[in-house]
Amino acid sequence: MAKAIKIKKNVEEGLFDFLKSLLEKEKINGVFTLKKMDDNGAISYSLITSPDEFKDAVPLYPFMPVNAGKALSSFTLLGKTEEPIAAVLRPCELRAFVELVKRAQGDLENFLIISPTCGGVLSLNLMGDKNQEKIVSQYWTSVQKAEISPDTRETCQFCENFLPINADITVAALGNKDLDKEFILFLNSPKGEEFAKHAEGSAVSEEIETKEINEFRKKREELREKFFKETGKEGEGLKSLINIFAPCLGCHGCSHVCPICYCVLCDFDAKTHEYHSASLSLDLKNKGGLKVPTGNLLFHLGRMTHMAVSCVNCGMCSDVCPVNIPVATVFSKVGSSLQKVFNYFPGKDIEEPAPQGTYKEEEFKTIGEQ
Amino acid sequence: MSNNQKETKNYPNKGKSLPVEKSIKDTVFNIFKKALEENIFDALLIPAKVPDTDAYSWILLQDESLFDIADPLPPVMTVQGGRALSSFSKNGELGLKIAALLRPCEARAVIELFKLHQVDLDNMTLITIDCPGAMPLADYMNDPKKIADSFKKISEKWEISESLRPACQNCHRFSLMDGTGPDLHIGLLGENNKVTLIANSPEGNDLLEKLGFESKDSLDKWKTEKEKLVKEKTKKRESFLKEWQEKTKNPDGFFNELNKCINCHNCMNACPICYCQQCYFDSQMINFKPEIYLKKSREKGALRFPLNTMLFHIGRMSHMVLSCVACGACEDACPVSIPVGRLFSMVGDKTQKQFDYVPGLNREDPLPLQIFKEDEFCEVETPNECEEKATEEVK
Repeated sequence: MAKAIKIKKNVEEGLFDFLKSLLEKEKINGVFTLKKMDDNGAISYSLITSPDEFKDAVPLYPFMPVNAGKALSSFTLLGKTEEPIAAVLRPCELRAFVELVKRAQGDLENFLIISPTCGGVLSLNLMGDKNQEKIVSQYWTSVQKAEISPDTRETCQFCENFLPINADITVAALGNKDLDKEFILFLNSPKGEEFAKHAEGSAVSEEIETKEINEFRKKREELREKFFKETGKEGEGLKSLINIFAPCLGCHGCSHVCPICYCVLCDFDAKTHEYHSASLSLDLKNKGGLKVPTGNLLFHLGRMTHMAVSCVNCGMCSDVCPVNIPVATVFSKVGSSLQKVFNYFPGKDIEEPAPQGTYKEEEFKTIGEQ
Repeated sequence: MSNNQKETKNYPNKGKSLPVEKSIKDTVFNIFKKALEENIFDALLIPAKVPDTDAYSWILLQDESLFDIADPLPPVMTVQGGRALSSFSKNGELGLKIAALLRPCEARAVIELFKLHQVDLDNMTLITIDCPGAMPLADYMNDPKKIADSFKKISEKWEISESLRPACQNCHRFSLMDGTGPDLHIGLLGENNKVTLIANSPEGNDLLEKLGFESKDSLDKWKTEKEKLVKEKTKKRESFLKEWQEKTKNPDGFFNELNKCINCHNCMNACPICYCQQCYFDSQMINFKPEIYLKKSREKGALRFPLNTMLFHIGRMSHMVLSCVACGACEDACPVSIPVGRLFSMVGDKTQKQFDYVPGLNREDPLPLQIFKEDEFCEVETPNECEEKATEEVK
């Protein structure tokens, strides 16, 4: 039996009270969580250190304005935090943070990591929508019933990894039909148990894998197959890729918000990838025409080879694309088959090195030199 | 205020009117086809529709068969033309004669990029066209067919429709201006079923001559129609400016508009003027140790992540707003629908007036910050000394 406590409060309120009391009792020095920025629906991550400022915290609000793994990396890039901080992040954000820590882009030490069983996040274009509150309330109804909310990101709709890995405390929300009255915190580490003493809950014996969770996973697996099938036709090769990425503006927003793309200056933004005007005559002679700016597809392929093995399927890239390219679904499709080949689960085990780090010459002889 | 010495260049008086037989597009393409055939230029930069998709892009066209996919005025502005042109010409030595067909705001961006040494205008002929505006990129991507249809109707009537991008609704510089911007302008306004070619530089004159066209036709009708629309759109712009100045008269009003920002920097990456290889706000200069972040958080009780979300916009603004051509590419690229183009255009309008500078108007006008003098804006920088100086002058 997993260690767990039941709190007799609405899940959002209960988590809020728990975090606030940790801050007030000075058990932690800050909470990294989502916060309301105004009354018009703007939500942002924030490092909250004062209990007074905590009033606007909305830890489980279904938006991901930035992948929290990326935000925590910017917080701990130059060293670990010396003070204890509670961080509330979604399972894919936590996996992203673990991947970044593996690459020396952050530090997990002194964090109390809290993560929910995740029903997904709403598409970012709904932020500030005049019906935002209604959409959020519908979202919670679908979480309660363990149904897939149609307002969530495409990647969320087919995400199978919605249970957190490496969290000290898991907030069980999915499929809890009474989540407006009570919810369960699973305590996954001694640290989690220690801090949970300050929550007003009573010990219960429960398992995280419920019937609802299993059924939910099946629904998502079905959608996964559907979306993967629809995105990029097998056997069409380059043509299919050209068509998918045809509207690309080359804004590189996808790489800018990707938690795994941590390079300070992307190679594709560097001098090396600038078009050499001297090649113009030859290129035009050979092709009759040239799509400019050049290299948009190469950018996506290059980025893919760099990060797809660590892609955590968070969907940030699709959400920021100004021309609706299903970047995340393509990257997720490629990522998941690549991860299978390398038998690698990004963000699962902090000790496991990324595949590129352990790659050996004699691997993949069947693909390379036979 | 400014030391800019402007040589006012008068409008050309005559042009060459061509009858439209099949379509405007066809008439325009015939001119380009002829120019390519006769090697007046070697390639043409023009928007085109990517085959088998709804997407638009830019192509450098040499093979005539590509005219099948080209479109002089597509329903959307994908990559800003200035950015597209800079992407292949910033390193110079093109070795080819190139003509670029651009919307007026794109050509103005090219002129600014020229001053910033980010394009090579040797061997480059800039051609602009009367612009009916463009549709919001997001709307088009959601329903390409419907939006393309409504764009067709709007552009035929030169309607200042609310379905157009906000930048285009509020644009009064949609045609040829009285300056040394493009070499050649294509007038669509004025007479129905006619396209008017207007040479705006010796190179433009030369081009028309080589094509065998004599600039003998009157421009009166085009001018009258254009001035009428300029007046109407200036009025629209003024009411937009007034509304937004009111909305943002306090710093809070301004910053609230940016609350939703997720720091993706799409606005900057779509902006034709933001040409830096690496933005300061993407560099390692902004990284601090965790204790610094905690200290900053304690000062206010909370610290927003990612950091510098607001500072980024202010920093970018101070860097580029004097050259902002109000093209709206930033707003089109924003994933959370921040009216960033309107904010920048509003600030740009006021700042540019202070410096008596119109970005992209004249190739010769130096960038205001290049000729900025110590004693300028003393009323802002050193009000006391400024007052003394003013009193002395009166004496």
